[in-house]
Parts: sequence; C-alpha cells; structure tokens
Amino acid sequence: MKLLPIVLAAAMSAAMLSGHVQAADGKKLYAEKTCSACHGATGNKTLMPDYPKIAGQNVKYIEKQMLDIKSGARANGNSAAMKGVMVIVSDEEIKAIAEYVSKLKP
Amino acid sequence: MNKRLVAALVLALVPAVAFAGAPAPKKEGIEGKGYVWNAQEGEKIEALHKKGDVKAGQEAYEICGACHLPSGAGRPDGTFPQLAGQHTTVVIKQMADIRAGLRDNPTMYPFAQTLTDAQELADVAAYIEKLCIPVDHGKYEGADAAMQVAKGKDLYEKQCLECHGKNGEGNKEKFYPVIAGQHYKYLLRQMTEIRDGHRRNANPDMVKIIKPYTNDQLIAISAYQSSMSMPGAMCKAKPGKKK
Repeated sequence: MKLLPIVLAAAMSAAMLSGHVQAADGKKLYAEKTCSACHGATGNKTLMPDYPKIAGQNVKYIEKQMLDIKSGARANGNSAAMKGVMVIVSDEEIKAIAEYVSKLKP
Repeated sequence: MNKRLVAALVLALVPAVAFAGAPAPKKEGIEGKGYVWNAQEGEKIEALHKKGDVKAGQEAYEICGACHLPSGAGRPDGTFPQLAGQHTTVVIKQMADIRAGLRDNPTMYPFAQTLTDAQELADVAAYIEKLCIPVDHGKYEGADAAMQVAKGKDLYEKQCLECHGKNGEGNKEKFYPVIAGQHYKYLLRQMTEIRDGHRRNANPDMVKIIKPYTNDQLIAISAYQSSMSMPGAMCKAKPGKKK
C-alpha cells in the first residue's frame, strides 16, 4: 500500500520519459546515430545508388527493418553496412527515429 | 566465339555491378601464407607521394564528419574511432586497405568507396592530421580504473612502448598510429581483433607480440592507453564548458 505512490510515480515518469524520447529526439537521433550519413539529411538522398530513400516510409516498416537488421534476422543486401551502427541504437530510440523518418517529406 | 561474347558481356557488366555498391572485395590478408604487411604497392603509394591540400581535404571530410564528427572525435562507445591528429601515413594506409578489401569494415566501406582518387585521399589525410586531438574521449570507467591504468602502464611499457611511443604518438614513417586520445572501447576492440586474427591488415610482428595476452590484460592496456596524452597535439579544453 505504501509502495503504490512510488510505483505510480515510476510508471508515470517512465511513460513521460518514453513519450519525450519519441516526440523531441527523433530528429536529433537521426543525425547523432549517423542515419543521415547514408540516407541523407532529409532521408531522400542516399550515399549509394542502391541504398533506400526512407523519407515518408511507413513507420512500422522502418521500425521492423531496423529491429531486424539490429538482431541479424535481416542480413541480406546492404544490411551488413547498417548492422555496424545499430549497436548504438536502443529499441526505444529506433521507435523515435522511425516516427521522425516516417514524417519526413518523401 | 560464344566464349568471347560471354567474356565481353561479363566485362561490360562488371563496372555497373561494382558501382551498385557491391560488397567489398576480399584481398588475402594475415590469414594467407603470401601476406606481406604494408606491401608497397597500389593506391596507397600513389596517395603517399601526393601533397595533401588541407583546404580540399576539409571539404572532402564533410562526408567523414557525419560519423567521425566534424572535430574528428568519433564516438566514445567505440563504434567510430577518434581520427584527429592521426598521421597521414596511417589514414592513407587504412583507407587504402579498406578500399582494397584488406581490412573488413562493411559500415565504412561504402564511404571509402565513394572517395574519388589518391589525391582526395591525400587531401583528407592532410586535413585530419592537422586537427587537434579532443581531450574528452572515452576512458575506462570502472571503479577500479586507477588499478587498471597502473597495471596497463606496466604492460604497455614492457612491449607496446617501443613502437607506439611513450605518449602514444606512434611513428609516422613506420605507419604506426597515434593512440593517445583514442577511445578505450575502440582500442580494446582493435587489439582483440588483431590478437584473434580478425583484423586482416594487421602487422604480423604485432600479432606475434599480442597473441599471448589475456582479455584482462588487454582491458588494462586499453585503460592505460586511453589515459595517455600527447603534449602539443591535444585540443585546449574549452573554457567555461563543464565536463
């Protein structure tokens, strides 16, 4: 009973924290985690001709590809190039980046 | 006749395929019997003979800076190494090795590939060498840091110092890298890969020396190396900026 306020506070701050990451930091993360190096500053100018433009892509699709490349479930194509940087992106951050990229102008 | 036609077709297709971001070529490295470290051949030699233009290099570095940061600082998590102040010879050799398929780095390869020629390589290397070494790189952060650094210093002075220098300055003429200011995690990863034969462009002399080292010893050596400082080459701490 005594614990309830603490549990509630923890749950609330966790929710606020994750909400905060998603809303505010997608853009920052996109540059910081070096996505822009290959996919371009606006997600539609790629380093190599066989890299995908990602601006405006479906949010769920972006998230799934990032998770799969990170886990190694997806290892075809140019995944190897991206896998090297996925170690520095948490699942939470993946969500925020996917959200941001999906809203970029294609 | 048919064979010739096929050969011609294959030849015609090769450049197109290569341009479409084909996987890195694979050149025989330390795993092969005929491996010669730092063979004096190819694009590396061409770039080494060119005079690097710092200004042109600064422009070319813009692409590098997306991952290695404009300051050259890389990332403390060890994914991207600190580059600032590195010897031109080392940058040129490593880039040429990655381009030639002698050092495996799938993340770096496409960037190395888009570099145009030996002159641009010389330019970028000249620019990188001129940058001061950032002082806020990743260090060993365990509670036993002081002990690890002391243990690492001992080991470093026994076998590493001779080539890598008292202050981690390396040796430009011999292609030995500056390690002062490098991230702890990057140092540990590279030493482990060199010991285990995964860094295929490694110097066999170093591999021989590092082979018997345990993981714990490499941790201590990395801890010490990342605590080193090269007088005159480090950036001045920004005044008023809290650490």
